[in-house]
Amino acid sequence: MEKQEEEMGKNVLLVDDSSTMRKIIGRSLRQAGIDFDNIFEASDGVEALEVLEKEQVDIVLSDINMPNMDGITFLKEKSTRESIKDIPVLMISTETGDDIIGEAKSYGAIGAIKKPFTPDKVNEVLGPLL
Amino acid sequence: MELREQIIASTREIFTTMVMMDIDVATEVSEEYGRLENTITGVIGLAGTHKGVLAVHIPYAVAFAITGNFLGIELQEINEDVEDAIGEIANMLGGNIKGILSEKGRDIALSLPSTISGSEYDFHSIKGAEKTVIPFNSESGCFFVELQLEV
Repeated sequence: MEKQEEEMGKNVLLVDDSSTMRKIIGRSLRQAGIDFDNIFEASDGVEALEVLEKEQVDIVLSDINMPNMDGITFLKEKSTRESIKDIPVLMISTETGDDIIGEAKSYGAIGAIKKPFTPDKVNEVLGPLL
Repeated sequence: MELREQIIASTREIFTTMVMMDIDVATEVSEEYGRLENTITGVIGLAGTHKGVLAVHIPYAVAFAITGNFLGIELQEINEDVEDAIGEIANMLGGNIKGILSEKGRDIALSLPSTISGSEYDFHSIKGAEKTVIPFNSESGCFFVELQLEV
C-alpha cells in the first residue's frame, strides 16, 4: 500500500502513432493497478521530444514503427539532449527482434513489451521500474 | 509449426488478449472471399528477405465490434477510430508474421499500416505470390486474414 502511494505523482508519456493503441496502453496501466498522475500522449518521436522538453515525465512507453520519427531515432535524438536524456524509455512494439531491441537498448531503452500484451505483462515489466 | 498454424495462433492471441473477442477458424467458409462488400481491409507490407503483404478483410459489423471493444464506444459508420483500430490489428499481425519469418528483426522491414474500405471492391494478389487465406468466425461475423509472400 505504501508502495502504491509512493508511485502516485508520477507522469508517463505514451508514444504511438495509433490513438487506439495509446488508449489501450492507458487502459492496461489502469487494469494493472499502475496509477499515473498524468498520462501524456504523442503520435511520433518528434511530438514525444516536444512533450519531454515541456513536461515533467518520469517514464516513456514508446512504439518503434512510427511515421515522421520512429522509436529508434527518437531514442538517438533524446540521448543527445542533456535535459531529457536520463528519462527511462520502455519500448512497446510489434518489433521485438533481437537486432532491433538490441539497437534500442544501445540508445538507452530499458526494456521491451511485445504487442499484443496483457495488463499482467505490463505490470510484470513496468512495475519494478517505478 | 507451419506458417498457416502460426498465423492462426497469432490472430487468436491478438483477439484474445487485446480485442477481448472470441474467434475461431471458420472451417465451413471458403478461402476464396471474392469481391469484398461493406468491408474494411487493413494492410501492411513486408520488404527484405521476405516480400509480401499481410491483409485483414473485416466486414463493417465486425470492424465496429472490434473498435467498440478497443475503445468502449458504439460505432455505426467507418471513421478514423475504425481505420486506426483495423490498421493496428494489421500492424500487430504483421509484427507477429515478421517475428515468425525473421530471425533477428533487421532482415525484414514492415510498412506502416494502411486501410481501404468501401461498399464493393476487389483485393488482388501479387503476381506469383504464395497466398495463405484463413477465414475466422466471430460473434459479429466472419473475417479473413491473408498473407501473400513473393516466392
